[in-house]
Amino acid sequence: MKKQEHEKNIVKVGLKDYDLDTVRYAAYAVSDAAYVFITPAGKGAVAVEFTPKHQPVTGHQSPVTGHRSPVTSHRSQAGNLARRFREELKDEKIRAAVFDANRDLREFMILKALSYDTAGAPPEQEDSGLTPEQEKELDALIAQVESEIKRESAGSGTKDPLGITRTWEEKYGAKTGRKKN
Amino acid sequence: MAQKPAARKTNPSGGVLPQVLWKKTGGSYLLTNDAGHYAWLKEKDFAAITAGRLAETGPLFAELASKGFIRDRLDFNDLAAKWKKKNAYLNYGPGLHILVLTLRCNHKCLYCQSAAAGLGAAYTDMSLATARKSVDFALNSPAMGITLEFQGGEPLLNWKALKGTVEYARKKAKTRGKDLKLALVSNFSLMDAEKAGFLLANEISICTSLDGPKDLHNKNRIFTGGNSHGETLKWLKYFQKKHAAQSPDYRVFKPGALLTVSKYSLSRHREIIDEYARAGLEDIFIRPLAPIGYARNLWDTIGYEAKDFAVFYLKSLDYILKLNRQGVVIREKTAAMMLDKIINFQDPGYLDARCPCGAAIGQIAYNYNGDLYTCDEGRMVGWAGDDLFKIGNVFRDAYKKVMSNGVTRVCVVSSNLEAQPACARCAYKPYCGVCPVYNYATQGSLWGNMPSNDRCGLFKGIFETLFALLKKPGNAAILKRWAGK
Repeated sequence: MKKQEHEKNIVKVGLKDYDLDTVRYAAYAVSDAAYVFITPAGKGAVAVEFTPKHQPVTGHQSPVTGHRSPVTSHRSQAGNLARRFREELKDEKIRAAVFDANRDLREFMILKALSYDTAGAPPEQEDSGLTPEQEKELDALIAQVESEIKRESAGSGTKDPLGITRTWEEKYGAKTGRKKN
Repeated sequence: MAQKPAARKTNPSGGVLPQVLWKKTGGSYLLTNDAGHYAWLKEKDFAAITAGRLAETGPLFAELASKGFIRDRLDFNDLAAKWKKKNAYLNYGPGLHILVLTLRCNHKCLYCQSAAAGLGAAYTDMSLATARKSVDFALNSPAMGITLEFQGGEPLLNWKALKGTVEYARKKAKTRGKDLKLALVSNFSLMDAEKAGFLLANEISICTSLDGPKDLHNKNRIFTGGNSHGETLKWLKYFQKKHAAQSPDYRVFKPGALLTVSKYSLSRHREIIDEYARAGLEDIFIRPLAPIGYARNLWDTIGYEAKDFAVFYLKSLDYILKLNRQGVVIREKTAAMMLDKIINFQDPGYLDARCPCGAAIGQIAYNYNGDLYTCDEGRMVGWAGDDLFKIGNVFRDAYKKVMSNGVTRVCVVSSNLEAQPACARCAYKPYCGVCPVYNYATQGSLWGNMPSNDRCGLFKGIFETLFALLKKPGNAAILKRWAGK
């Protein structure tokens, strides 16, 4: 009898109908109630064996729905596990198809989300790696060089007799907007 | 000649769903997606949509399309914006920094009896130097908003360090340009006018524990020095009055209270909630007991099964909703935070229900000696003798090293719901989170086994209850107000 009950805890699954990952995930979903062993069972099939973790329970009431589960025997417990596992198998097959069909779309959406609207964020302050004193020295140096350049370009034209450094507008004035004939 | 009626245009996606999660409840299907939208479908409609037979013209199709459940009608801008909003925490560093100012406590609460040290254990007081170093460490986080939470033991037993830390932290946060929030968790038994004045003037928000009516509270929270319940209510009223009056010089926050549910609480949900309402508290945070640290040793006396808590929680929510309908302003905090995610697509800052969880990357616990832990639960596991969740020390380790060390990483990886086989398939995934510390303490593995995990069972029960309540328009209106607060 015991052996008979034990045999009833085995479900054979064809790998043509459900791939091995689907079988594994469905088995994991019932791991609250049973230890599940998956073993090869001939070509293209696996045997899924359930060993219940707990003694059959009597009349547990769902806290949310208020439904009371029926009193269970070893046999019905095994049957419930097999039924739950088969339902999970069917569900998992749809989930796998949905996931495969949407992998790219999902990655696109999440990438879009991660790069979405960062306009509000304050700009990061650049760290020059200088001490405040060094920063001051550098500012003074830049100011000195800039004033020297200004002085030179504002002085006699000897440094740029051909006016090469002057822009087109400086040489010939702003565009008048006249059209070419 | 009569015209042949036009064929009903059906779902052009040919029955392929976009990335959705679902759960069959009775004769209905709850559908959710990554952005956080949800919809209820009758069994026949679920069959129709998966077979590509759902009529395009009906209101159901329009609703599903607007929520991202029809594959060729996806509004990527809307979905991405909602996803981003819901997961905003991914862009910050740890914002909550828990400073354990002392392990000493003058209470001997049943659920934390041995975790707290006796009054003589002054060696478990945090020195001001350690506290300052902890503040410096906390301010290294890239998060703009930093919350320093003073905890214990009873933090008022180390008043000198608390006061010095507040003054130091305010000054340092100002120079660093951080938005600093200060919070205190205290049993109030050592509170006096001078301390209260300092806490108010420094804008420190205050939270205490209230386990229900006097006999229940005092049974859970044993205080040999007096009446714990009386002290709690006295100071709650004091801070409530100060809040109502406000001050021209500083903001006064409303005081809050936490409820820890022990076995003794399970049959008394009404009395507990009435006690909160009488005390003028507008929030009740119903927290289950976790068999972590030393609470584990007393589990047979004070613990219970997840289903027992689920019954208590459901009855409590029902009663709170009943009170709301009678005009009493009170809401349950866990529900309010979950609803904020479900209704507002928002991150309420609930570190326990995030993906990845808040361990290290959302919060850090600073022990009295400067040791850093992923969270306060991780610290409790450490205090019980297992330092797995220790991530460094404020004197020895730089912020970057702590954030990138192995423990931090493994907590992130193990609490990533995409890598949890049951969670990745769960309809509640967009709103949920797992706790590696809980998994480790109860199941011996950081990943745990969700189908047999009590915490998972609790959260599923809470979500099942909330979604069932949201189906009823009367309840939904109240719950939406909870989320909108």
